[in-house]
Amino acid sequence: MAFAENHINTDVPEKDVFALHFLQTLSNLSTQNPFSSPDKKSDRVKKIKKAAYVSMARAAGCTDRLWSRALLQRAAKRNNKIVRFPRRRKRVTWLRRRSNRRDPVEEAAAERLRNLVPGGGEMKTSKLMEETAHYIKCLSMQVKVMQCLVDGLSPK
Amino acid sequence: MDNELFMNTELPPAPEMAVHFEQPSSSSAMLNWALMDPNLASNSPPQDCFMWEKSTEQQQQQQSIFDSALSSLVSSPTPSNSNYSGGDGFIIRELIGKLGNIGNTSGDIYGAPMNSNSRSASCYATPMSSPPPMMSRTTPLTEFSGDPGFAERAAKFSCFGSRSFNGRTNNSGLPVNNNNGGKIASSGKLTRVSSTPALKALASPEFSRPMMIPAGGSPPKLPGEFSRKRKSVSKGKSKETPLPAAASPSPSFSKTAERKDEGEKGGKRRREEEGDEEEGNKGNDTKPPEPPKDYIHVRARRGQATDSHSLAERVRREKIGERMKLLQDLVPGCNKVTGKALMLDEIINYVQSLQRQVEFLSMKLSSVNDTRLEFNVDALVSKDAMISSSGSRVHESGLQLESLSQHNYNNHSQLHTNVSSNNMMLHPPLKSLEPSTLPRGFTHLPTLTQFNDSISQYQLFSEEDLQSIVGMGMAHNPNHESQNMKIEL
Repeated sequence: MAFAENHINTDVPEKDVFALHFLQTLSNLSTQNPFSSPDKKSDRVKKIKKAAYVSMARAAGCTDRLWSRALLQRAAKRNNKIVRFPRRRKRVTWLRRRSNRRDPVEEAAAERLRNLVPGGGEMKTSKLMEETAHYIKCLSMQVKVMQCLVDGLSPK
Repeated sequence: MDNELFMNTELPPAPEMAVHFEQPSSSSAMLNWALMDPNLASNSPPQDCFMWEKSTEQQQQQQSIFDSALSSLVSSPTPSNSNYSGGDGFIIRELIGKLGNIGNTSGDIYGAPMNSNSRSASCYATPMSSPPPMMSRTTPLTEFSGDPGFAERAAKFSCFGSRSFNGRTNNSGLPVNNNNGGKIASSGKLTRVSSTPALKALASPEFSRPMMIPAGGSPPKLPGEFSRKRKSVSKGKSKETPLPAAASPSPSFSKTAERKDEGEKGGKRRREEEGDEEEGNKGNDTKPPEPPKDYIHVRARRGQATDSHSLAERVRREKIGERMKLLQDLVPGCNKVTGKALMLDEIINYVQSLQRQVEFLSMKLSSVNDTRLEFNVDALVSKDAMISSSGSRVHESGLQLESLSQHNYNNHSQLHTNVSSNNMMLHPPLKSLEPSTLPRGFTHLPTLTQFNDSISQYQLFSEEDLQSIVGMGMAHNPNHESQNMKIEL
């Protein structure tokens, strides 16, 4: 009621968009690294993971969401390197100042959540919640799609 | 609480009684009092505000006050915990002494409000403090009014009794006030609101900010909003009040004077006039209050802090709570948990599990046969392009990728231009994951033969896979997909 005007929009991104992005990236990966090559398994895993996240972020709409933007920025920055997603960002000072008054347990929990959600370090807590909601939706979507891919592609 | 107490003594509501009592109160002393304050007319606060607070209860209260039975209930001010309790007791004693024979009842009257004040002492710290009960007997009233020292003292003990005063005012002005009050805040749920307009009228600059509400006096206000604002204002006031009250007794003084004036004129007419005045005041005061519209939705309940920081903090917490609810629906098992911290833990666990799942799945994917994946994707991409370029063949080929292709329809047209060479084993131009480069993956425009090939390949390798993708059952964007889904499934 009070916040009716800024409605919290957490639409799920298109799973097909994500699937397409992801498959393409996968194909790129496979063409970049011919399967005969002695590519390290872990490296490949990480690349695929990154591909999955980037695809998800792109499917979610790069600019609408803070987390997807942060994710893409991070992915673009270190393009060919391994991206670790739960990575801490520097926090704004006023958050630190204010947090003295608040419930330390909640703050600690929110802090951990910040480290999980890409770009969370720069968000206020309420924004963080909103982004987390969307992020969770996207993640579950991603997991479903990937599960389907794995099921379909794995040798019978 | 005192209300409850009063409830016990059930008397039939008799508003006229109040009026009756008021009218005799128009004594010369009162008049003088009123005249003493030149600001009275301009400063007179809206009367209706006083009505909003539980008018019926107060009515009963009043009656019960008349009923001397009350005396036993509220006799002693001592239990009050407020800082001012000592002062209150002092004043009361003095009052009692002045009132003489009536002293018992009047003392009780004061005592009752004081109890209520003690409950939430700071909130009531309005200049309203001093005003003697109008419904109380005429003689004591005049005595009060005649004594300037009392007024000053009362002003200093600001906590003295806005509540009680409200009750009395209510009683006296009941009929008219109800009407006015009903207009503005029919909900009538306002507690403590009563004193705010008076504050505003006093026009102490500190109040102006929290006061923004008075702007709400203009017609568009919704009752709910209004009440909320009022509340917040009163809250804001509560902290600041002691200063002005102590520093400048004049406002409170004027207030009391005005009260007396009311009492003397008695009645509804006076009320109405004051209401009008109040309107005018509002109009005048409206300017400063206007800007902080943000506060409209801020509610401050009893006992809540009211400075701007606390308000902002509360707003923030409300926001977080709202989002939390949203998250609660998303995260399974979150409904059972109570407490924000636990809920956050649950959410964190869920996100972590999802991320772990992604990692696990990507691990699995990496172990998937490379060639198979490559073929699959290539076929998919080329077919996509084909479908979008020749949409008529979509249905006859019975493609499971319809929905996929449809999404690419939009960007396909402009991407058509950079058609890559007709290699079946496409090596898509994108080497990086840059957002700008990725769309180019869709731009291969296969020839007809390629199309056929791709179809065959596609059907060979990955029909079931893609079916699973498409038919996954996440039905968003229904307008795009619904019919396609039907066709496919």
